[in-house]
Amino acid sequence: MTATTQRATITTPTEREIHVERTFDASRDRVWDAYTKPELVAQWWGRGNKLVIEKMEVERGGHWRFVEHHDGGTDGFEGRYREVAPKDRIVQTFEWDGMPGYVIINTVEFQDLGDGRTKLVTTSLFSSEEERDGFLKSGMEGGMNESYLALDRLLAKLE
Amino acid sequence: MVQYQERLDSAFNAVADPTRRGVLERLGRRSLSITELADAFDMTLTGMRKHVRILEDAGLVKSQKIGRVRTCTLGPRRLAEEAAWIGRYQKMLEERLDSLGEFLERTKGEYP
Repeated sequence: MTATTQRATITTPTEREIHVERTFDASRDRVWDAYTKPELVAQWWGRGNKLVIEKMEVERGGHWRFVEHHDGGTDGFEGRYREVAPKDRIVQTFEWDGMPGYVIINTVEFQDLGDGRTKLVTTSLFSSEEERDGFLKSGMEGGMNESYLALDRLLAKLE
Repeated sequence: MVQYQERLDSAFNAVADPTRRGVLERLGRRSLSITELADAFDMTLTGMRKHVRILEDAGLVKSQKIGRVRTCTLGPRRLAEEAAWIGRYQKMLEERLDSLGEFLERTKGEYP
């Protein structure tokens, strides 16, 4: 820790969110690169553990999967990028292999402070299993109905 | 559903405190007595009992007194697992940001 690199400030604005702000003594370009270039991510994301980046497609809909290797074994993390606005904002889902199906939505904002420093604002939104189940179910029903409609149309053509 | 939401909200309140998150994280690995927990967090027994009570009220921890020792375990429900995971996630997030800060210091001048 240095005088210019602050500790994170953590708040919980709503009961489902963890909000962390931290200022780094580095340009926004450097922080963005450290966050989005696999060869750089591999050097810090593992918190001192060996990190294997199995997949990292930094684009909307892209898949990421990182595996931490430590004395006790391995921990896999994965998700998808929902939004990638270069040097500005990344929204991605985050799942740990140990809690499959428990999805956290992570938003990271890169704020240029104009003095060579960059503030990283991270918001992690947790959703309950039951809320998600409801959402998935309704989404799947919608998709299912569309599939049936398409099948109906196809069958009508065949007749 | 509503009841579940209330429980999840109270779980979030319970894990808003760093000591309680730490307690959940440790209990996620194995059962511990109040004394062991108090020692681990350099805290008085009375202080630790209060934290454990809040976690118990939220349904995240259960404790059982056998003889003179009160042993705490993670609550039986999925909720306790979720709360333990929230605590663990927050700790990881902080560690990753520390690690990123160190990386940026270490690589000053190495890449633009």
